[in-house]
Amino acid sequence: MDTNTLIRQLGAEGEPVRPLARPWARTVAWLAFGAVYVAAVVIMMTPRSDLLLKVSESRYLVEQCAALLTGIAAAGAAFASVIPGMNRRLLLVPLVPLAVWVGSLGQGCLLDWVQFGAGGLSLQPDWLCFPAIALVGAGPAVTIAWMIRRGAPLSPHLTAALGGLAAAGLGNFGLRLFHPQDASLMVLVWQFGSVFILSILAALSGRYVLNWQSVTNRVRARAVVGR
Amino acid sequence: MQKQFPVEQRFAVLMKAAQAGDTSAYVQLLEEITPRLRQAIRRQRMFLDPSDIEDLVQDVLLSLHAVRATYDPERPFMPWLFAIMKNRMADSARRQIRVSAHELQVDDLAVTFSDNPENIDEEAYRDPEALRLAIDRLPQAQRQAIDMLKLRELSLKEASAVSGMSIGALKVSVHRAMATLRKVLKDG
Repeated sequence: MDTNTLIRQLGAEGEPVRPLARPWARTVAWLAFGAVYVAAVVIMMTPRSDLLLKVSESRYLVEQCAALLTGIAAAGAAFASVIPGMNRRLLLVPLVPLAVWVGSLGQGCLLDWVQFGAGGLSLQPDWLCFPAIALVGAGPAVTIAWMIRRGAPLSPHLTAALGGLAAAGLGNFGLRLFHPQDASLMVLVWQFGSVFILSILAALSGRYVLNWQSVTNRVRARAVVGR
Repeated sequence: MQKQFPVEQRFAVLMKAAQAGDTSAYVQLLEEITPRLRQAIRRQRMFLDPSDIEDLVQDVLLSLHAVRATYDPERPFMPWLFAIMKNRMADSARRQIRVSAHELQVDDLAVTFSDNPENIDEEAYRDPEALRLAIDRLPQAQRQAIDMLKLRELSLKEASAVSGMSIGALKVSVHRAMATLRKVLKDG
């Protein structure tokens, strides 16, 4: 097909499209849905009995805020990453709350070690974390996957990793509302580790979820049918 | 009226109109940006054939069309367009590397002999009736590609001109068709 023919066919297909909302607006929309979903799962799983006590502890609050902000910033960065011409430095924003999150967990480990010695850093298996974070993050994950597919697949792996981090960050935030596990090392290994693994898995699936081939094949197929 | 706008602003106005469903503005925009895309791609990929450059231009236009909702009318148009173009060029280069990593360039052999072991495998494919049936069962695009490129021995350019398929699509179709035929004939 020569280029002029293609232009005519694309022109004939140029039905109105609604421009995507700005990344921050899409983040708010995603968060609104995610908050409802996470709240529903937390209520279903029964919130932890000491929740009111925990929200007055600064360490718990810092870790929870950092997890939540990591999720929100990662979602914003994922939405920005599918807009051509967007400043790529925006994609680094999630690193700030992520550093605070890891830093506060690391500091917690250090304090436990100083206070209780080697016994303060005991590590027991906590296999609930991975499936629980995946369950709490499932709704936000599906939503963000659907939303980023409306954008341009400029960097599939990075976008998917950010989407995975957003969903898993929100999932971890929800998990700690019903799962009474606060030992810093346990949280760092089992919970943050699960978030990390889920983000890597999301990154690996990036090219399957987002790729130019499938995006342009749909247009190409319509163009051929319309000939 | 339009002459008052610099090019960048005119493109933004045309794109905004295109998003609203103004097809003539859209065609005008595509026609105006196409030579710029072609020139920019040629400048950055001087080693490519004109047909490969044209394939890339078409890829960019298709991509632009598919993601035109991502253009924010409040933002400049050219950085948006060139971000798509650069991404498609990088994507195409990656694809090229992947394909060439699986391709084996072999010089034409002037003579083969009946006792040459390579010919023994070939014999397994020499059932014209089975081959004809296998070709008939291929999807239409693949059958057409095999017919033009392998049976009628047209060049890629000629086949593209005859069929209206891009050279890239022809290469993919014939590659897939050959793989299918090899499998079908081998399985018997």
